[in-house]
Amino acid sequence: MEKDNRQEEEAQGVKICDPPSDSNPPADTLATSLSLLGNHMFPDPSCRNDSADVNKDELADSRLPDDAAAEEPGMDEEPPSNQVTKLETEETDCDASSQPPDTETEDAAVSNDQNDSGEFVVTMLAKAKLEEQGIGVKGRSSPLLEAGPEESPAFVSHRDEDVTADSWRQHRKHVFVLSEAGKPIYSRYGSEEALSSTMGVMMALVSFVQSGDNIIRSVYSEEHTVVFLQKGPLVLVCVSSSRQSEQQLRGELLYVYYQIISMLTQASISRIFEHKKNYDLRRLLAGSEKILDGLLNLVDSDPSFLLAAVHCLPLASSLRDSLSQILQKAITANLVFSILIAKNQLLTIVQEKTVIEDSRLEPADVHLLLNLIGASSAFQAGEIWTPICLPLFNPDCYFYAYISYLDPPECTVCLLLLSTDKEAFYAVAECKRKIEEAMAAQNSLSLIAKAQSYSVSQVGVSDLRHFMYKPFDVPDNYRQLTQFTSPEMEAPYSSEEEKMRLLDLYRYMHSRIHSTSRPLKLIYHVAERETLLAWVTSKFELYTCFSPLVTKACAITAITKLLRWIKKEEERLFIRYPPKYSTTPNPRL
Amino acid sequence: MPDVSKMKKPDVKVVLLGDMNVGKTSLLHRYMDRKFKETISTIGGAFFLKQWGPYNISIWDTAGREQFHGLGSMYCRGAAAVILTYDVTNWQSLAELEERFLSLTDTALQDCIYALVGNKADLTDQQAQLAQDPDGQPQDQTESRDRTDTLLSACPTPPDSPASLSGVHKQVTREDAVALYGRILHYKGLDEKSSLPADKMCFETSAKTGFNVDAMFETLFDLVLPSILRKRNENQRSPTVDLEEYREVGSKRSRSGCC
Repeated sequence: MEKDNRQEEEAQGVKICDPPSDSNPPADTLATSLSLLGNHMFPDPSCRNDSADVNKDELADSRLPDDAAAEEPGMDEEPPSNQVTKLETEETDCDASSQPPDTETEDAAVSNDQNDSGEFVVTMLAKAKLEEQGIGVKGRSSPLLEAGPEESPAFVSHRDEDVTADSWRQHRKHVFVLSEAGKPIYSRYGSEEALSSTMGVMMALVSFVQSGDNIIRSVYSEEHTVVFLQKGPLVLVCVSSSRQSEQQLRGELLYVYYQIISMLTQASISRIFEHKKNYDLRRLLAGSEKILDGLLNLVDSDPSFLLAAVHCLPLASSLRDSLSQILQKAITANLVFSILIAKNQLLTIVQEKTVIEDSRLEPADVHLLLNLIGASSAFQAGEIWTPICLPLFNPDCYFYAYISYLDPPECTVCLLLLSTDKEAFYAVAECKRKIEEAMAAQNSLSLIAKAQSYSVSQVGVSDLRHFMYKPFDVPDNYRQLTQFTSPEMEAPYSSEEEKMRLLDLYRYMHSRIHSTSRPLKLIYHVAERETLLAWVTSKFELYTCFSPLVTKACAITAITKLLRWIKKEEERLFIRYPPKYSTTPNPRL
Repeated sequence: MPDVSKMKKPDVKVVLLGDMNVGKTSLLHRYMDRKFKETISTIGGAFFLKQWGPYNISIWDTAGREQFHGLGSMYCRGAAAVILTYDVTNWQSLAELEERFLSLTDTALQDCIYALVGNKADLTDQQAQLAQDPDGQPQDQTESRDRTDTLLSACPTPPDSPASLSGVHKQVTREDAVALYGRILHYKGLDEKSSLPADKMCFETSAKTGFNVDAMFETLFDLVLPSILRKRNENQRSPTVDLEEYREVGSKRSRSGCC
């Protein structure tokens, strides 16, 4: 049975990747300073443990069941411990301004017995929330609250949540974005104003660790994982009780960062903060909170983000080809991508040949576009024209996106055209008319309306309940968009809770397979109510869910059948050869 | 000359400008779809086509957010009418029009007309709380002026007082809007006497109840018609062959008004 780094996570105390230099402050200094910081801000140490223990009961339920790796029933569940907390930092170059390196260096971890400090960090974060609400400071209410933005009934949402309430703390996953100066930029739940001192503490942690030429990466407590991500002048923090791996949570923070970049571009964010360190970025992001909220909800409910792949709607290849041809013909100068979407899934995508000769659209950029469309459907009869940056394509420049629904008032089929010309709206809108006409002539809309996701029963493999299949074996003359296919989630995974439970199981399998310390190729996992098998090869990544009591041999046989079925259906399940067009490049300044 | 109703190219452009959350999208939604519903913050700009008699009027509903400020002048290019929208319960939204949005209109037509529209009047005004007839009878302007006057004497609110959470106060009076209208004309270098009078161009509306919404849009549409006719005459005199027109003749499809 393999042991992965989950075991290591149980090690108590502060972990710091030991840099080769002697300049690193010893861990006990770090702990003392954290305590000093805490004592300074919160003089009363007696309520230290109140808030950190809120979710104790929930923990038992949310914890994943025991797993059996490679047929051997294993017991690698963490025993509850009083001080299971770890502060993990990563070594950086001597140049403190450098970006955090992407590679993980967990092996060099040195354990120090500073039991209290990590726990204390979490407590401090929790207490900061109390502090800013004026709790424990009699007769004084926070001026920040009173100065909040004007309330309007249309905007009563998570924004107005009481950040002192237990319900606020019990959210499964909090996400905060702040500037390097500690200014709040975004909070998933509760208003940023009400959380400004919490974010201040977060920034204090980041800067403190940074002052020792380190980068804070994560803090573990019994119920929560706190993950930090620093990108340029922005600091993103996730406080999660979802038991996801640190890598997964950091990946989600990266999506949040990219979504912000997609609205503002990296260049303009850097410029703004170079110019004014304590700029309030909410001025520019005001109104975009719902886009970030929507993204985080999608991240939690849509496995596309976990797999970093795009889900396309199954469609007869002849129909998909005819749609592609329609898009291919309706072009104008400076048009670079034409994308057709139905039911939030990709129908087809056509791209410009020369502009993007050796680059392709990354799945993450497509996810951001799909999220933007989902969040912009307010008034669907209109045609939207908006600048949008595709951060993985080019984080510093805008494309101009034309978004229009082709089937009002139902608004399920959406056309997205991306141009590099800011002034091209009317020309691009004309492309839409052509597409509309061609689709009307071929009766495409009604054909698209019939297209739907498939049921796992169509595969014809008994005991197979659900799967996610992501192939790598795309024809290599097309550096293709990474895709995956997956059937509808059906009974017993029809309720929202059960869907989430299955996704959590997949997330767990994914974290084991992609563990940085001990990556695996195959996991057979006997869970409480189902059996799962995950398998990664050079050609594909596959996650399957079977009814309980399916043996490993049975599962392997079933997977062989499943792979055969996918091979047979791949023309329908995937966009196989994304077509291209050529628009005369006509650069305009 | 091709049948004008089949022309897809809009004859005239109207732009909605104003700070975020003042209700630009809601106003347009009320007018086009006869509905009021919760909207999401607009992204970039949204383009709508309204059939007005034989003419096509394009309406740009722009995002009020600072994020999209750079695009404002593009949306305004060649506009025949600009609807500067503010929220009557938010003084800052009126101030923003002058500070942030007025300069965007530099790319509009020389003879562009400007309307000042104070939305959310239902929050401060008894009369605006009554739902309008769905067909939208144009409101008598003098009547609406009287209404504002009585309201003024009843509740004199200093313009800079913040909106309280218990009850919403009117922060922008009609006089404030009229004064701003004067400053806009001044900024544009227009003579007040030869321009449209402030009385006619300052509106208070409620997208929620529909109060004054149709009257506002339709007054404007009627006012931009001369601009359409002049533009068309210029086109006819133009010696250049317009390929668009020929293409349009053969095409059967016409994009009708959005609703």
